[in-house]
Amino acid sequence: MSKSLAIIFNKAPYGNQSGRELLDIALMAAAFDMEISALFIGDGVYQLLTNQQPDILHMKNHSSTYKALELYGIETVLVSSEDLEQRRLSESRLMPVSSLSNHKQINKTIAESDFVFML
Amino acid sequence: MATFSLLVTANPHSSQGQFSAIQFAKTLLHQGHVIKRVFFYADGVLVASRLNCPPSDEYNLTKTWAKLAITHDFELTACVTVAMKRGIINATEADRNALTGENIDPAFEISGLGQLTEAMLESDRLVTFG
Repeated sequence: MSKSLAIIFNKAPYGNQSGRELLDIALMAAAFDMEISALFIGDGVYQLLTNQQPDILHMKNHSSTYKALELYGIETVLVSSEDLEQRRLSESRLMPVSSLSNHKQINKTIAESDFVFML
Repeated sequence: MATFSLLVTANPHSSQGQFSAIQFAKTLLHQGHVIKRVFFYADGVLVASRLNCPPSDEYNLTKTWAKLAITHDFELTACVTVAMKRGIINATEADRNALTGENIDPAFEISGLGQLTEAMLESDRLVTFG
């Protein structure tokens, strides 16, 4: 029986490695045919911004890997509209990999998952 | 009785997560549950170095994990990608990357993230300590 997995991105990229490390977990679990939801809440919404230039900080840019989520069969990619709004970000600033959602739907997705990851 | 796996991401030198994970593991075993695997990821892998040398009056996390895992027959697995970045090296990787030595504690093994996924698939619960 396939188990489901919710992966919660709640931190901005580059100040720490959590985004990159969660992405690696997501892609590996996808290879095992687990049903995966990638959820972007709080400062995690910054992970999806276009035109990231971390090379200025000598950091590796992992943002393009988010575009591979769909390729790996990860179809549920939700970003919190409340958290975008709170940060004065519009969906047009994000890579076209996620669907706008809200806390209620995201909480429901978490509640229905067998496993939940947050780093 | 249930089968558990743990994901430990806490830095052993600067946060309490590893101590909490050990207490949790001991309690699980005491209550008759089974631990399949403890997977170390992010800064959590730092505990796998056998060269960790805390002052003698302080708790040795590496040795405590090792003793617990050997006594109760569960696996201690560190993620290879993040371990190598942090200088946690086994003989194979030392050889492959022309490094001067290895430092993995013999009770731990270095392997890929697939082992975390497998632990999830084969456990009733996975609990993260970050």
